[in-house]
Amino acid sequence: MITHRTKMRAVSVVAGLGIVALLATGCARGGDSGSPTESGGAAAASPGITDDTITLGITTPLSGATAGPGTCTVAGITAYFGAKNADGGVTFGDGKTRKVEIKALDDAYDPQKAAANFDQLKDSVFAMTAGLGTPTNRAWREAAIADEVPQALIMTGDPIFSDQKQSPWSLGFVPIYQNEGEAFGKLLASSPDEHKVAILSQNDDYGQGYVEGFKKGIEGADNIQVVKELTYEATDTNVDAQLTELAGSGADVFFNAMSITPLVISSLQKTQELGWLPSWFLPSNTSSPSAILEPGGATAFPGVYTVAFAQSAAAPTFADSEDGKAFLAGLKEYANYPDPPAFPHCVWSYQVGATLDQVFQKMTEPTRADFMKELRSIQDYVAPLMLDGSSVDTTEDGQPAVSTVQVQKYNGKGYAPAQNWG
Amino acid sequence: MSTATAVMRKPWVRWAVIAIVVVLAIVLPLVLPEFANTTLARIGVFAVAVLGLNVVMGYTGQVSLGQIFFLGLGAYVTAYGVQQDWNIVLVFVLACLIPAVVGLLVALAAARLGGLAIAMVTIALPIVGVPLAKRLSEFTGGSQGLSARFTAAPEWTGLYDDQWQLYIVLLIAGISFLLTRNLVRGKYGRAFAIVKGNEAVAGSMGISPYRYKVLAFTVASLLGGVSGFLYMVVIQYTSPETLSFGHSITLLASMVIGGAGSILGSLLGGAYYVLTPQLTNLIDPGLTAVLQGAILLIVLFVLPGGLVSLPRLFRRRRGREQGGGAAAAKAAASATAVPSTSAPDGADVTTHPPTESEERRQDT
Repeated sequence: MITHRTKMRAVSVVAGLGIVALLATGCARGGDSGSPTESGGAAAASPGITDDTITLGITTPLSGATAGPGTCTVAGITAYFGAKNADGGVTFGDGKTRKVEIKALDDAYDPQKAAANFDQLKDSVFAMTAGLGTPTNRAWREAAIADEVPQALIMTGDPIFSDQKQSPWSLGFVPIYQNEGEAFGKLLASSPDEHKVAILSQNDDYGQGYVEGFKKGIEGADNIQVVKELTYEATDTNVDAQLTELAGSGADVFFNAMSITPLVISSLQKTQELGWLPSWFLPSNTSSPSAILEPGGATAFPGVYTVAFAQSAAAPTFADSEDGKAFLAGLKEYANYPDPPAFPHCVWSYQVGATLDQVFQKMTEPTRADFMKELRSIQDYVAPLMLDGSSVDTTEDGQPAVSTVQVQKYNGKGYAPAQNWG
Repeated sequence: MSTATAVMRKPWVRWAVIAIVVVLAIVLPLVLPEFANTTLARIGVFAVAVLGLNVVMGYTGQVSLGQIFFLGLGAYVTAYGVQQDWNIVLVFVLACLIPAVVGLLVALAAARLGGLAIAMVTIALPIVGVPLAKRLSEFTGGSQGLSARFTAAPEWTGLYDDQWQLYIVLLIAGISFLLTRNLVRGKYGRAFAIVKGNEAVAGSMGISPYRYKVLAFTVASLLGGVSGFLYMVVIQYTSPETLSFGHSITLLASMVIGGAGSILGSLLGGAYYVLTPQLTNLIDPGLTAVLQGAILLIVLFVLPGGLVSLPRLFRRRRGREQGGGAAAAKAAASATAVPSTSAPDGADVTTHPPTESEERRQDT
């Protein structure tokens, strides 16, 4: 039996320990949180920046299903700043030259881990950047606002990150889904012929974004008629039923807003089996010539279109161009990425590095607030490896850093710019 | 070693240990840096999820691969309730009850099936859950997910948000652990153990295996819901990725690594779930998956009974060195029983340490 006395003793032990501990902790947190407010002068440096270094943080999937593109989002920017650091560093607007360090953590496309990575990095890095994924970036978007940490030039087509009111501390880099759909819609509308369009889209914000953009692009065009519109779920393993139904619509253009690689390949094959040979539109992330179009036998179709803003590292002329050479050499030397990348994210991440470089050159104070101000002031900057006609413009609210995309047509090996339909 | 056990048996020592734990729980959040606090809070979140899994798997021996679904459901209920501005206590109750009811309904059907069929039914939960979460975008925000920030520290406390969140987690997780401990050590726990050991024997003793399987599954779902609520307290965002099937398997691995059929093991499992990704990121962010696999294998080879059997490994070593003595022999006997606890099906629960200490408690 536990006696009353032992209970009393236990209570007194708790009380005693509690008092001692509370006394001991009296000033524990107060100490370190007090210092930043005391030195809150105009140009007090934010965390992660000194007179000769600046540290950037990345949380991105480096393992799991999206590890390929995820690894690229780190490799590109590492290659860019690796070469810059070797040349001495980046000269900032305040006259100081700083080396750029990058801390990248794996989140395995798990929002929970991404939020944990943000918590881990936020006090030691100046800004977060380049990370891939919509849910993984959304998981800490509001925490970044609360802590006033920049979430700059991230790789997601989700428009929320480019809305200054909703996301004052964020900015997306890649075009939002609507930008891509609209560009194709406009090209199609410019065609002299009449077209019937069949639409298949993923039943989520991704698919809806593309379709919304496409419909905006063909608005008011009398020659374009959407004859059939179907959706599928992102978890579906085949879309044969939808394809059969769409084939029956007699459409000559197939707008396929699909984000899942194996499904795109099997769709390319299935439509050929069905004897339905329309012109295709595919989103930028599921239109890789080597990984998708070749195995899908895409040369059977009159045309496969996609959009892009950056050069493809797989293009034959890429390795010979000056920028391409520097890019591939940087990947090899600084990012431990010896082969030409199969994912466009490496080039995008490289361009994120170049854009940040521009921002750094304009920054006159080593603060996150000044960084955000200058981040939103870049206009008409043609980053290395960009396609003609695309540029970085961060000044327009509601648009990501890159919102101008070029429609391209598959030529059996790679893509060539398509100015006109046909 | 016998003296150590003797000291541990004294009631005042036990009270002192409890007292220290309570005081640490109150004081640590105030002294630790922010990242340590959020990490501890995450551990609390997943420890409760692993605890639920332990009730159904570790104690009752039914394979469940769907625990993450209940966590996700609890998280979605919480996020939706907060967005609709419902009272937070009501939200908490719903975040517990809705997963529990869903768990009950699933269990009513699944527990009729024997053995692995239950596992197959539970696999279906996260697999159905992800597309469902994407499709019901009215409630779930679709694939963009829902965020709900409702755990900012109130002004009067003078606390930082991370401290306040950790206190909430400590309180709710602490109560969950205490109640579950009482459950598995009382008559229900004994019934679970018999159902796990041999269903026919359970039936002959007047214990309905069906009813107790359903009960265990419902409790596990309820705890999943609790951990879902805590997930929103700490992470404040949920998306279909939250209920990805892979996380369910990681939870299962965490339970086995922490120690199946052990309350303390659940806590260690939660720590494993949260700390291994952070640890492997520290070593090499590019190799996290490989390193996590290696850690899993090493722990299971060295400690087949899970991390919770670590002290017993030392005790066995010392017992061997000292040799002889009734106490040492007894320790060795309990230590040799360790490997059997790692097997989820045929484990003999009666030799398991918590039951031992339970006997001790009844002695005092």
